[in-house]
Amino acid sequence: MKKILRIMIIILVTVFTVSCTDNKPSNEFTIATWAAGTELSEFNAIVKDVNEAAMGKYVIKTLSIPSDYYIKLSTQIAGNKAPEFFWLTQELISKYADLGAITDLTPYLEQSESLNVDDYYEGVINSAKFNDQYWGLPWIANPFIVYYNKTMFQTLGVEAPTATDDWSWDDFIAISRQIAGKTYRDKQVYATVIEGNPNIETFIWSGGGDILDEDGKTVLLDSEGTVKGISNLVTLFRENLIPQYNSISYARNVYFERQEVAMYMGGIQDDFEKKILLMPEEDRFELGYAPIPTDPNGQSNPFDWTASTVMSTRVKDKDLAYEALEALTLAFFTWKIAPPIKGSIDNIGVIAPEKIPALDTIQHALDNARSANYTELWTIISDTYLWRGLYMPILQNPNVDYVDLIQKAASGIRSKIGD
Amino acid sequence: MKKRKSAGIYFVLPWVIGFILFTLLPMIAAVFISFTDWSIVGSNTQWIGLANYREIFQAEQFWHALWITFRYAIIAIPLVIVTSFTVSVMLSKNIRHVGIYRVIYYMPAIVSGVAVSIVFRWILDPNNGLINFMLSWLGINGPNWLYDPEWVLPSYLIMAVWGAGGGILTYLSALKDVPTSLYESAEMDGANQFQKTWYITVPMMTPIIFYNLIIGIISAFRKFTDAYVLGGAGGEGEFYMVYLYEQAFAHYKMGYATALAWILFIVIMFLTVIVNVSKKFWVHTA
Amino acid sequence: MTTSHTNQNNHPLKRFILHKSTWIHIALILGSVIMILPFIWMISTSLKTESEIINPQMVFFPQGFHIANYVRAFQIIPIFRYMGNTVLIAVLKIFGEVFVSAAVAYGFARFQFKGKNVIFMVLLATMMLPYEVTMIPTFIIWSFLGLTDNYTPLILPAYFGSASFIFFLKMYFETFPKDYEESALIDGATHFQIFTKIFIPLAKPALITIGLWAFMGTWNDLLGQLIYINDPNKYTIQLGLASFNSLSGEILWGPLMAASFIALIPIIAILLYAQKYFVEGVKMSGIKG
Repeated sequence: MKKILRIMIIILVTVFTVSCTDNKPSNEFTIATWAAGTELSEFNAIVKDVNEAAMGKYVIKTLSIPSDYYIKLSTQIAGNKAPEFFWLTQELISKYADLGAITDLTPYLEQSESLNVDDYYEGVINSAKFNDQYWGLPWIANPFIVYYNKTMFQTLGVEAPTATDDWSWDDFIAISRQIAGKTYRDKQVYATVIEGNPNIETFIWSGGGDILDEDGKTVLLDSEGTVKGISNLVTLFRENLIPQYNSISYARNVYFERQEVAMYMGGIQDDFEKKILLMPEEDRFELGYAPIPTDPNGQSNPFDWTASTVMSTRVKDKDLAYEALEALTLAFFTWKIAPPIKGSIDNIGVIAPEKIPALDTIQHALDNARSANYTELWTIISDTYLWRGLYMPILQNPNVDYVDLIQKAASGIRSKIGD
Repeated sequence: MKKRKSAGIYFVLPWVIGFILFTLLPMIAAVFISFTDWSIVGSNTQWIGLANYREIFQAEQFWHALWITFRYAIIAIPLVIVTSFTVSVMLSKNIRHVGIYRVIYYMPAIVSGVAVSIVFRWILDPNNGLINFMLSWLGINGPNWLYDPEWVLPSYLIMAVWGAGGGILTYLSALKDVPTSLYESAEMDGANQFQKTWYITVPMMTPIIFYNLIIGIISAFRKFTDAYVLGGAGGEGEFYMVYLYEQAFAHYKMGYATALAWILFIVIMFLTVIVNVSKKFWVHTA
Repeated sequence: MTTSHTNQNNHPLKRFILHKSTWIHIALILGSVIMILPFIWMISTSLKTESEIINPQMVFFPQGFHIANYVRAFQIIPIFRYMGNTVLIAVLKIFGEVFVSAAVAYGFARFQFKGKNVIFMVLLATMMLPYEVTMIPTFIIWSFLGLTDNYTPLILPAYFGSASFIFFLKMYFETFPKDYEESALIDGATHFQIFTKIFIPLAKPALITIGLWAFMGTWNDLLGQLIYINDPNKYTIQLGLASFNSLSGEILWGPLMAASFIALIPIIAILLYAQKYFVEGVKMSGIKG
């Protein structure tokens, strides 16, 4: 017994001494990323270059979280081991800001000589906005465009949109009517396929509607614009211009790759170009690009997926940290497509040469990029009211009274916010 | 006799110490957390009393998740136990290559959850998947499995049966301990194979069946990984733990999620106590 | 009369069909195919070229044996080092887990003492609370002790026994007759001696089962290792496999399946080797007197 006690005391003392020597140099910053494998090697190369350019002023270390990113990240934060910088997808920035976990970067963006708010595409930097302040530095933008099967359009004699066409959703539906039901390569084809993607925002915006106002307090969901927009979605289902949800049995992109649908709404990062080259010769088709169709106001509203790097509130030397963060962000702009900075469209051609034919459309998409107003309650609003309350019921039964659903969802959101 | 009584405590002591060191504190913390609005990353946590619990009982998603899980458990648990037991009995005989069979039937249990889910996404694929492919040989047009709300539960039941081999290790070691003399005297009394199994093997195995039943209840209600990866059309794949996980790590409502955990705990505890109490009626002790 | 009867049943084909073990074999083979098919798909995908994998017409067998995926897998992550790390953790864990769990189970199974049932219910209860909610408080405690990015939180608790193993071994020890120890006690043996010299050898199949479970538990534990390990040099095999995913990139199916298959080989090997121990029966008659 005594021996055991003695051993336990030794262990405890050792452990406490070890824990008290947890001193990190104040110019060492860790960035958490979900990059892993090959992506991580590229990431580390960028970090290395930034460190070398800093010449000892600061050192950035990498923390790769290859799986369950947010679980580990939030656990680290809870355990007082928050990384100084970390990646967040756009829907979470407001929540982390509201919870006091990240730093307001607005003053730094104003004072900086290398990177200001105006350098960003408006839609992209807005995704990092909360309470009129900016809380993160976006490093990538992936807006939606319409990919289409040029070969199919030509064969079926349907007029295709052009690369920067301001074609409307009414045009989109008219074209869909011309395509759906026709036979192509011995199969009945559809206009496109929808199964929860593209997201409901795309359709809400298609009629000029929206979810929340700029201030985040007023619910705009039950506006006429939303009703018109959702009616676009419902029409596609009701007129069988797209496959019924219950008959969809493989991934959306597979429908497009097998040439069973004529059009595909997806991000500019989608790699159909590469996939087509891997197909057997007789299965290949010519890829066309067009912008997301316009709403009744003539505005195209491509949904944009963006991630930002944010700074934890637990950073000691925030000025130095921002210097490092800015250098890192600028370095990211040469890494993936698309860099969210205006005037960098040619970089895309360098990073991803297969996208050169799409550059005009990509430019159009970036100029118009849009994301929803992500307030701190966004994850709940999106999951409970937009997905469960509106999108899913429509997918299950397109004949449902969607106006009623919209109104119920809107009042639900109102009660959640306390409108 | 006195010496015997106190010695037992020493054997059990390591676990008790470990429990106090590693488990008790976090569990007490979890009780407190369920009465707060803790968001993991936030610094301004407030005590909100029973508000989480009240919100849970009014949440339609909670009842839905509970129903999905309960419905699955009620069918899967007996199904898996019967399958597992039957296969174990077959594999306990000295037929040729039985060693290889044992490994093959146990293999599904050695793969980690995510890998299994990915593989089953293919198996259950309505167009190119293995199951519908085999059904087409019989001229049957297979259903859309995970893409069809009506077939989501059967999909998960199929996955459960596939993993039923996991229990054979528990049965095999004990099956061999059944004294052959019992079988011999039964044969002399004219018992056939089925009677021997039902009247001798099963009763002798009841302690192991009891173990598998308790473990089965716990794991059925805590089912998570494959449901999280595969989901299911029409919300039919939203098991309780998936709901809990989302509340905790997607909505950062850890206080609420912890309350959910305690409710699940009570449900499982309740069922376990019932089974434990019934033990004396059907579990055969040496 | 009897001759023709025997002649009929002596026909080889009929004997084959009538013999019950034939049907058992057929059932087992069918079942085996179902059990093993997903693994075959995994291996076959690992041998496909990229275009074969992407091809929506899911081909089952690849055209040739394309081992580039395996080469690629080794380039992306140091598979053997990660497996080595995992083996290190597993071996350190198993040693404690198996023997301490056996001791604790022995205490529950072969003794009566005050509060035994309460303590056992608490043990069962620890298996019922989802670990997701105790995970972060546990991390905070280890973090306070300065033991993160470290294998200690993964190994140390094992030396205090593991609830589900204790439960299983308790059941196992309870199957021995009540006064098994009586003769040894009369001869003056201590309880500890009885435990180590009599019960441990008797429980060999069960202990090997527990050892296998303990090994598999470590091999497959992604979340625990993710939470406590930061340094990529310390990664385990599960963390290595997770490296093939990406939130903002493509999943590399070919190399992932290749690496997953390589990761399975040690476990299958151990299983093949250990399976004969699972069915070693206990020779009851030898212990009397």
